[in-house]
Amino acid sequence: MSTPPEGLEFSTVIASTVHDMKNSLALLTQTHSQWLGQLPEALLHNREHGIIEYEFARLNGMLVQLLGLYKLGVNQLPLRPAHHELEDFIEAQLARHQEVLQSRHIEARCDVAEFGLLGFFDQDLLGSVVANIITNSIRYAQQHLLVRAWEAAGGVVLSICDDGVGYPEAMLVKQSDYALGINHSTGSTGLGLYFAGRIAALHERQGLRGHIEISNGGPLGGGEFRIYLP
Amino acid sequence: MANHPRGRLMQDYSTKRFLLVDDFSDFRSSLKAMLRDLGARDVDTADCGEDTLAMCRHKRYDIILHDYNLGAGKNGQQVLEELLIGKLISHQCIFVMVTAESSQAMVLSALEHEPDAYLTKPFNRASLIQRLDKLVERKDALKPILQALDKSDPAAVLAASVTLSQQDKRYAPLCQRYRAGALRELGRQDELEALLSGILADRATPWACMALGNLLQARGQLPRAREVLEQGLQRFPMMPGLYDGLAAVLLAQGESSRAQQVLEEAIKLSPLAIRRQMELGKLALQNEDFASASRAYRQAMEQGRTSLFKSPDNYLGLAQALTAQAGDGSLDKRVQADINQTLGELQKSYSNDPLVQVRARLTHAQSLVKSGDPALAKKLTDEAMSQLGALDQLFSAAVSLQVASQLRELGQAQASDALLKNCVEVYGDDPLVMQGIAKQTADPDILGAASEAIDLNRQGVRSYQMGRFADALALFRQALQHQPKNISIALNTAQSLLRLGGDKPDEALLDECRRCLQAVRMLPPSDPRHARYQQLHNKAFGP
Repeated sequence: MSTPPEGLEFSTVIASTVHDMKNSLALLTQTHSQWLGQLPEALLHNREHGIIEYEFARLNGMLVQLLGLYKLGVNQLPLRPAHHELEDFIEAQLARHQEVLQSRHIEARCDVAEFGLLGFFDQDLLGSVVANIITNSIRYAQQHLLVRAWEAAGGVVLSICDDGVGYPEAMLVKQSDYALGINHSTGSTGLGLYFAGRIAALHERQGLRGHIEISNGGPLGGGEFRIYLP
Repeated sequence: MANHPRGRLMQDYSTKRFLLVDDFSDFRSSLKAMLRDLGARDVDTADCGEDTLAMCRHKRYDIILHDYNLGAGKNGQQVLEELLIGKLISHQCIFVMVTAESSQAMVLSALEHEPDAYLTKPFNRASLIQRLDKLVERKDALKPILQALDKSDPAAVLAASVTLSQQDKRYAPLCQRYRAGALRELGRQDELEALLSGILADRATPWACMALGNLLQARGQLPRAREVLEQGLQRFPMMPGLYDGLAAVLLAQGESSRAQQVLEEAIKLSPLAIRRQMELGKLALQNEDFASASRAYRQAMEQGRTSLFKSPDNYLGLAQALTAQAGDGSLDKRVQADINQTLGELQKSYSNDPLVQVRARLTHAQSLVKSGDPALAKKLTDEAMSQLGALDQLFSAAVSLQVASQLRELGQAQASDALLKNCVEVYGDDPLVMQGIAKQTADPDILGAASEAIDLNRQGVRSYQMGRFADALALFRQALQHQPKNISIALNTAQSLLRLGGDKPDEALLDECRRCLQAVRMLPPSDPRHARYQQLHNKAFGP
C-alpha cells in the first residue's frame, strides 16, 4: 500500500485499524467465553449475557463487512469459489450463532431441498454475507429462523427468513438501489444489503451474475432475504 | 445422518490423535478444553511451526488444528506445504487452518496445498464440532482415494475417484480434482486436457484454470497456455499460483522481462514463498536486474534456513547478484563481507556436498577478483579444480553450464571446455542444453561430438514407439557406442533390453542392461529422469 506524500489515505487507515480491531475483538470474545465457563450456571442465561453475545457477533460482522468493502474498493477482495455442500455451509453458519440464538430463545432450522445439494461459491465471502443477514434477522425474529436452499436454473438460491415484522416498505420498493449502491446511507441494513449485492455479483457463470432479493411474508411471515448464485 | 441436531456429538474423538498449534497459550488451553469436551483424550500442543514438523516426524496425527499466523517463525501455510511435500502427514490426516482472517490466509495458500478447512477466530464449541464432524465424514468417504495417494499409486487414485463420484455425487467435484491429478501423474495428457477443458467450459474454476495452463505449457502450446492463464487472472487477480504459471509461460516464450514483472506481482501478494523468491532471483539475474535478483535471493535464503526448500542455489545466486551489481567497478568491502558470510554459511551447511563446495569456491573467487584479491581468488580456483576432478556425481546440465562459464571467466578455458564436452556427452540429446553450450563455445569438436548418436537415438525412439523393439535396440546400441555416457541413450537401451527380455530375461541381457545403467549411475537426483533410472535399476538389479 503506498503512502501519498501529503499524508495517509484515510481508507488505508481504516483498513489497518479495522484489522487490529478484529483481532482485539476476537481476543475479547474468547476471553469472555472462558470467563463464562467459570461462572455458576445461574448467572449464565441472563439477559445481559444475551446482549453481550449478540453485540459481539454484530461488531464482528460489521468489521468483516467494512474490511470487505475496503478491499472491494481497491480491487483486492480475493474470490476463490469452489463447490460446497449447502447443508454443511448453512449448519456452519448456524453453529456460529448458537449462543446468541439460545440466549434469545430463537429456534433456527436448516432446510435443504435435496440431499447433498452443491453450490459453487466463495465460502468465506458468502459466509460473511450470511452471518450479517442472520444477525440482522435475529434482531427482528420472535422465535423462529429458517435458512433454506434449493436449486434454481442451474444455480442455487439461499434464503433466510424470520417471523419478525419484516423489512420496511420503503426498503422493499428501493431494493435495487441498495444492490447498486446508489442509496446506502440508510444505516447498517442498507449497507449490509449493498455488500451482499456486491458479493453476489462477483459470482458469475457464463455471463450470468448472482443477485439478491428481499421480501416480506415468506414461510415464517416475516422478512425474507434471498441470494441467487448462478 | 443429514439432519443431526446442532451440538450433538456424532463422531467418536476418543481414539483420535490431535495436535494443536498456536503461539498463544490461552488459546491453546481453551481449545484443548473444547477438544476434551468432545471426548478427545490424546491432545498434543505446540507453539511454533518448527515444532509441528518435528512432532509429525515422530507421531502420526489424525487431526491437526494449526494457527496461521505464528509470529516470527513459519506461517501455517508454509508448515502445511512442508508436511505434505515431506510426507510427514498422511493424506488421511485432517488439517484445519485456524486464522484471524481467513481470506488473507487463503490468498497466500498454494492451490495444490490447501488445508482441509479454515476456521476463523473466534469460534465456538458448536462451530468446532460441526466442522470436525463434517471433515471426519468426508475423509472417511474419501479413504480409498487417500490411501492410494499415500501409496503414490495414481492408477488406484483414478479408479477410486471414478467409483466414489458415482456413489455419492456430493464428492463428485472433489473426485474430479483427484482424477485430474492422477491423469497428470500417469501422463495421460489428452484425457487430462479434455477433463480440464470440460470443467472450464462450464465454470471458471481456479484450480482447473491453473492445471490447464500448466498442462498446455508442458505440451508446448504456449499461446493457448498464456490465454488460459491470462483469462484466469482476470477473474481471480488475487491468486499467486496463476501468476507463477503465467511467468513460466512468458519465460518459455522468450519474454523474460515481462515474466519478471508478473512474478513480482505474485511476490507482492504472497512474499513468504521460498520457491517463488528463488524463481524471481533466477529471472532477475538472467535479466541483469541485479538489485532485484539479490533482494529475491536474500529473501529465499533467509526464509529457507529452516525449510525443506532450502537450496544452495539461493546462496550462490545472492553472491553472484551482489558481485554483478558492482558492474565494471570494484567490489565494496562491505559487499565482499556480505558475500563471504553468505558463502561461509553455505559451505558450512553443505559441508558433505562436494558439488556445492566447488560452486561456492568458484563463486567466491569471482567476487575476490573484483574486490582486488587475485591471490586468494587463484587459490580458491585451484582448490575447486582439484575437487572437480574427484567428483562422484554429475552436475545437472544447468549447473554444468554455469560452472563452465565461471571457469572461463576465471581464466580456466581448458577446464571449461572439458566440462562442456562432458556435458555434451551426458546431456547432448537435449536441444536446450546444446543451445546453452553453443553460447559458450563455437568449437566444432565439442558441438558436433554427439550429433550422430543423437540421430540414432531419435530413430530408435521412433522404432520403439511403433513397437519394433528389436530394431530400436539395435539403434540404441549403436548410439551408445558413440556416446556411452549419454543418460537418455543409456536408459533407452536398458529399457529396450528389459522389454525384449520379457518376464524372465536371460543373464547376458541383464548383464548388458546393468552395464548401461552403471555408466550413468552418477546422474543427479534432481534429474527428471531419476525416477525412471531407479525403476530400471530395480528391475535389472532387483530392488
